[in-house]
Amino acid sequence: MSAITCSHVEKSYGATTVIRDLNLAIEEHEFVVFLGPSGCGKSTLLRMLAGLEDISGGEVSIGGKVVNDLDPGDRGIAMVFQNYALYPHMTIFDNIAFGLKRQKVPKTEIQKRVEAVSKTLGLDPYLGRRPAELSGGQQQRVAIARAMIKTPKVFLFDEPLSNLDAKLRNHMRIEIARLHQSLKTTTVYVTHDQLEAMTLADRIVLLRDGRIEQIGSPAEIYERPANLFVAGFIGTPNMNFIDVTVGRKGNGWTLTSAGTVFTIDGSRFKLQHGERAVLGIRPPDLKTAGSNADSLLEGTADLIEFHGNDALVIFGSGGKEISALVPTRECPAINSHVRYAIDEQSLHLFDAKSGVSLLRQSL
Amino acid sequence: MPRRSSLPVTFVVPTLIILLILSMVPTVYAVVIALQNRELSSTAYSYVWFSNFVDLFFDRRFLNAVWVSVKWEVVTVVATMAVAIGLGVLMFEVASPRLRNIYCLLFIIPVLLPRVSAAFVWKFAYHPLYGIATYPYRLLTGGLIFDPLSKPATALFAVASVDVWQWGLFFAVIVLKLLETLPPQPIEAARLDHARRWQIHAYVTLPMLKAPLISLMFVKMIESLRSFDLIYVMTRGGPGVATETLDMYAFSQGFIESGKVSYASAMAVLMMIATVITFTMLWKRVQA
Repeated sequence: MSAITCSHVEKSYGATTVIRDLNLAIEEHEFVVFLGPSGCGKSTLLRMLAGLEDISGGEVSIGGKVVNDLDPGDRGIAMVFQNYALYPHMTIFDNIAFGLKRQKVPKTEIQKRVEAVSKTLGLDPYLGRRPAELSGGQQQRVAIARAMIKTPKVFLFDEPLSNLDAKLRNHMRIEIARLHQSLKTTTVYVTHDQLEAMTLADRIVLLRDGRIEQIGSPAEIYERPANLFVAGFIGTPNMNFIDVTVGRKGNGWTLTSAGTVFTIDGSRFKLQHGERAVLGIRPPDLKTAGSNADSLLEGTADLIEFHGNDALVIFGSGGKEISALVPTRECPAINSHVRYAIDEQSLHLFDAKSGVSLLRQSL
Repeated sequence: MPRRSSLPVTFVVPTLIILLILSMVPTVYAVVIALQNRELSSTAYSYVWFSNFVDLFFDRRFLNAVWVSVKWEVVTVVATMAVAIGLGVLMFEVASPRLRNIYCLLFIIPVLLPRVSAAFVWKFAYHPLYGIATYPYRLLTGGLIFDPLSKPATALFAVASVDVWQWGLFFAVIVLKLLETLPPQPIEAARLDHARRWQIHAYVTLPMLKAPLISLMFVKMIESLRSFDLIYVMTRGGPGVATETLDMYAFSQGFIESGKVSYASAMAVLMMIATVITFTMLWKRVQA
């Protein structure tokens, strides 16, 4: 049993509330990622799970046991920090073995377990060195080894890859994923990098200002963002937003923005005649259009970013800057007139006032 | 560029010359005197070469002074570091940031007192009849007299306590500030690694502060060598020779009891040589 439950959890520093009334259930073996912009409270929440921050209100339980007043060491968790937090004066062996020594594990067993863990993570050549003699990636691997050796009920990762360079980050991400596959330990992982969140998570918890904006699998969050914030935060390049007015037309609906009218079937959405809405389209969902298509976005391509396989075409339409990600072979010349068709299946509509998605719940 | 190279030389050379004269002339003169048989009572003297040094090794009072000096050095340095680390860690663990500032201010005051003033204050505090430091003893025993400064067994520790009072508290402030500069993550990691509070300090924070703590210890070792004023005011080396350190004995041989300036100089030269050798060896050892 190592599920985590947060009920009505609050955190405040004096008069400032950082996390308010947060409810969350993390299942056993699950890999959950807390994702959000800086200052959204994701690290604070993780540190509250770890016991490094007091819980101002509500209850946190790990494995069915309320841990609010337990010391960090007694919660059955292990944590990996962003800046590794290794003990600089100890050898790698001592760093990994520190926790076991404090628990008075017999020496021969410590030796055996350190060897096993360091073999898994490829650290055996470095056991006699000190942290400063290792590269960033190796240091983070030591930090992971130090967490693993305690065979915790829960792994907590606090932006573990942020200090590494891009190539190493990819490599370590795969290692962490592989580790979770073999150990199946319940894991909570904090990051502001959506690529990490998308690739690692079973479920993503998207946070803003200490509140949960959406919980769901990476696919759910990408395909069915619950509101404008989630839609804008997830996905690179960012989703295009166009303010529109909804109108009824025969059996379908029209979406009117400055100068452009989009005709849609609209059965996926809960729409009302005359309502103000925000239309969201991801750049890859814009397709180069033929001459006779309707529901078009057109304008003059004023900037083109080359991405390799694809190119990002940025053009102005109705006073808005729109970007479209197209295959490089379809890439237009700069300053040429471009026309892109919208596929209704990939449209997102949000209420203009509340920002909530207008998608029907059953879909 | 000549201007660049000449400017530092212009500023540094005069100062260096003055420093060299001020430090080297007395040193060389002391060595020269140590090889003679000068006394304050007469102007006649001659070179006796090493006989002063040989005499020293048969002087039981000198050997006692060496032993007292070593004791003094060990007691004051160990006690100062123990008090500094103990109090520093205690403040770090228990006190709120605001309280810490107040403690820091209080703990710096003793070291700001001139040594002689501190010595007088504590001499009165240790007074067997009126002293505040001996008051609890009188109270508990129903008026028995306890005079720590006039008992050979306690005199050295009583004087050392003043030294620790001045420097231990001051160093506690430095230790606290050092602890505050440490990154919090290794401490948090240690908490997750089942370390108790004291274990975190014993195994993580203090080893991380090893280099600055050793420097602090060196400062205290050098400072402890200059204890003359404190001992002079509080006990004058007494009772008997119980607190007579090398510098006290040299002073009394040279100026108070017999005026044997050359004999005193020989002691000073020996002290200098011993200090240089000891500190060089310790420093090398620490660097390694």
